[in-house]
Amino acid sequence: MASHFSGALQLTDLDDYITPSQECIKPVKVERRPGKVGKIRIEDDGSYFQVSEIGEEKKLEKAKITLNDCLACSGCITSAETVLITQQSQDELYKVLEQNKIAMQNGNTEERKLVVVSIAPQCRASLAVKYNLTLQQTARKLTAFLKNLGVDHVFDTNFSRNFSLLESCREFVSRYRERENNKTALPMLASACPGWICYAEKTHGSYVLPYISTTKSPQQIMGSLVKEYFGKLKGQRPDQVYHVTVMPCFDKKLEASRSDFYSDVFSTRDVDCVITSGEVEKMLEKEGINLADVSEMSLDTILSNVFGEELVGHDGGGSGGYLEHIIKYAAKELFDLELQNIEYNVLRNKDFQEVVIEKDGQVLLKMALAYGFRNIQNIVQKIKRKKCQYHFVEIMACPSGCTNGGGQIRNDPDETANERLTRVNELYKSEKTISPFDHADVKRIYDEWLNGTDSEKSNSLLHTQYHEVEKMTNALNIKW
Amino acid sequence: MPRLEEVTTLDGHIDPVWCVSWSPSGSLLATCSGDKTIRIWGKEGEKWICKTVLTDGHTRTVRYVTWSPCGRYLASASFDATVVIWSRKEGEFESIATLEGHENEVKAVTWASSGSLIATCSRDKSVWIWEVTEDEEFECASVMSSHSQDVKHVIWHPNKEILASCSYDDTIKLYKEDNDDWTCFQTLASHDSTVWKICFDQSGSRLASCSDDKTVKIWQEYLPGNEEGVVTHGTNSVWKCVCTLSGYHERAVYDINWNHVTGHLVTACGDDSIRVFGEDAESNKNEPKFSLMTVINHAHSQDVNSVSWNPKIPNLLASCSDDNQVKLWRYVE
Repeated sequence: MASHFSGALQLTDLDDYITPSQECIKPVKVERRPGKVGKIRIEDDGSYFQVSEIGEEKKLEKAKITLNDCLACSGCITSAETVLITQQSQDELYKVLEQNKIAMQNGNTEERKLVVVSIAPQCRASLAVKYNLTLQQTARKLTAFLKNLGVDHVFDTNFSRNFSLLESCREFVSRYRERENNKTALPMLASACPGWICYAEKTHGSYVLPYISTTKSPQQIMGSLVKEYFGKLKGQRPDQVYHVTVMPCFDKKLEASRSDFYSDVFSTRDVDCVITSGEVEKMLEKEGINLADVSEMSLDTILSNVFGEELVGHDGGGSGGYLEHIIKYAAKELFDLELQNIEYNVLRNKDFQEVVIEKDGQVLLKMALAYGFRNIQNIVQKIKRKKCQYHFVEIMACPSGCTNGGGQIRNDPDETANERLTRVNELYKSEKTISPFDHADVKRIYDEWLNGTDSEKSNSLLHTQYHEVEKMTNALNIKW
Repeated sequence: MPRLEEVTTLDGHIDPVWCVSWSPSGSLLATCSGDKTIRIWGKEGEKWICKTVLTDGHTRTVRYVTWSPCGRYLASASFDATVVIWSRKEGEFESIATLEGHENEVKAVTWASSGSLIATCSRDKSVWIWEVTEDEEFECASVMSSHSQDVKHVIWHPNKEILASCSYDDTIKLYKEDNDDWTCFQTLASHDSTVWKICFDQSGSRLASCSDDKTVKIWQEYLPGNEEGVVTHGTNSVWKCVCTLSGYHERAVYDINWNHVTGHLVTACGDDSIRVFGEDAESNKNEPKFSLMTVINHAHSQDVNSVSWNPKIPNLLASCSDDNQVKLWRYVE
C-alpha cells in the first residue's frame, strides 16, 4: 500500500526486511495472572482461548497498538497507517452521527453528542477546484452537506490560525530579546506542521526541539476553542462534544492523537477525529452527491474567520503565512520599521526561499521558508553545527507546503499534479485577507476567555511542548 | 588461454574488506573494512605497501570508499549512517566534512563526473543527492524514496547527469533532474533477487548489473528516435535488458566492474571466485554475446566482496574478501 504520509515521516520507517504487520516492535504490556499457564487453543475465527489444567476456558484479549503507542516509539511510522484508518476516518464520524440518531430515537438526549466540524482553508481550496466552485460557494455548500448529515456546527480553522499567528509573533519577539542569554532562543522554527514535529522528535531530539516554537498549530488551538470555549457556551462538557477537523494532511491525525492534547479529566481529545480533503470527497461519493449540486447554507460565524458574510484568510502563502506575519511584527516591534511588501528570494530551489530585512547595510532580520525533506535537512544540519544564520524558519514537511498536503484531492486524469496544485494555489491566494491583530472577535476571546495576552491561561491553552523519542537499538536490525 | 595471475596479497585489515577503489590516476588503491578503517595502498619501487590508515572517520563498518574525479578527495560510506569526505594534500588525508542525514547504514557514495554532485544510498531506502558548494560545504539537493527496500548501490553516468541505483527490492532505478527536483524516470525490473551492484560501460550507453539471483544482466540505452524503433517517452531514453549471463556463478554475485579500456567485465562472487567475461567479436548491441574468458576458483578463501580494474593499467585488477585480504591480479591474454 502506498503511504499517504509526508516524505519526512516515510523516511523514518526503519526496517526493510519484514512487512509492516510483523514489523512492529513495540512491546505490549501483558497482564500476567498468577497460576500455571495451561494450553492455548486457536479457534477458526482467529480468537485465542487459554485452557487451564483443569479444563477452564478463557478467551484471551488481543494486543492492541494505538496511535499513541506509535508516537512514543522510535520504530516504524508508516505501519501506523492501518491503526490510523481504524481510529480516525470518515467512518468514525458516520458512527457518531448514527449513535446520535439512535440516542434521539430512544429519547436519550443525554447521550447525544454535539458534533462540530472545523475545516482548513487548504481543504476548501482543494474541494473548490475539484468541483469548479468559488471558495465562498464551497464553504456554504460544505456547511449544508455536513449539516444535512447531522453535524451541528461547521467552523473554519482560519479563525484559530489568528491565535497561532499572534502567539508566534509574540513568541518570536520575546525569543529575539532573550537571544543573548538563551543559546537556543534562535532560530525559532515553525511548529504548525506535524510531519516536521514528528520527524524532529524521532530523529533529532534534544538538539533541535528547543528551537521549535511552542505555539500550538491552528488545528489544536481550534481543539481548545471548540471543547473549552464553545462547549461552555453551549453548556456541554468536553466529552459531550465530538470535534472533527478536515485537514490537507494525514500527519494531522497523528498530531490530534498526541497525549499533550488529551484531557485525562474528561477522557477526551481536543480533536476527536481528523479527516482529509480526499476523505470528504469519499463521503460525497458515498452519499452520491456532487458538491456543486448542494444548495448553499449560511456559515456558522462564531468560530469562523468571517468579515461580513464572507470568509477571509491570511497573507503569506498556502502554509499559514507564519514568516510573513512574524517578520512584519518583529520589524515594527524591534526596529520600528513598517514593512509593506515582503520580497522572497528563491535560493537552491522554489521550496527554499529567503527574506532579508536590512537597514543602512546591516542585516536586521533574516528568515527563510524551507519546505520538503531535502530543505529541512540542510536547516537541521546547520543548526546541529551552530551555523544557521536565520532568525526564523517556516518549516513544512511537504514540498510546496500545505496546499500540496498528502490528504488533498488528487488531480483528474486530464491534468498533471503540478497543474492541479497551481489552480489550488491561485484559488487559495484569491481569498481576501485580514490581519489577526485587527480581528475584533479574536480580541474579545483574548479578553473574555484567556484573561488577556500572555496570561497563564493563554500560555497553557495556546502553547504546547515536544518530547524526544529515545532511539531503540536492536541488534537484530543490523543488515549488510 | 587468458588467465589471472596473482600479483600480490595486501594484508592489514583485521576484518572483512568490503570495497576496493582505484584513484583516477591509478596510482593509489583505497580499501575499507569492518575494522572501521580505510587503507590507502601504493607502490614503492616494485612493492605495493600500505601508505596510510585512516582510523578516526567512522564508528562502525566502512562499507564503501570512492575517489572524486579530480583525485583530490575521497568519500567513505559507513554503517554509522554518515559519509565522510577526505581531502588529500601532499599525501596526507584530512577529514573535511561529514554528511549526515541518512537514518541508518549508508551503503554507497559516488561522485558525478563534474565533481559538483555526490549521491549516497542507504538501508533507509532513500537515495540522496548532495551539492558541493564553492566553500567545500555539502548541501542536500534531493532525497528520493523510490525504492521500497534497502538501496545497495548508487552510481553516476560517466558523462551525463543521470543517476542509477539498485536495491533489495530487485530493481534498478534511473533518475534525472526535472523541474526543480530529481525524479526517477525508469525502473528496470528483470532480476529475481537483490541487485547488489551496477556499473556503466565507458560510453555510458550500457549498464551491467549483478544479483543475488546468480546472474549478470546487460542493459542497453535506446535514445528517442532510435533506429530499432524502441518506444520512448518525451526526452527520456529507455533502457532494456539485452543479455543475461546465467549458469556461470554458483552463488550471489556481489560486484561487477566494466573495464573502460578493454571492455572486459569482472565479477566478484559469493563462491569465492573471480570471473572475467569478454564480448564476442560478432556481438551486436541489441543482442550482445559475452563469453567467460577465465575464472579463478578460490581466488579468496571466503566471499569476494569487490573487484575493480585499474583505470590506467588495463590488465591490473584489485579484489577483496571476507577473508580480510586484498589481492592484486594481472589479466594475461
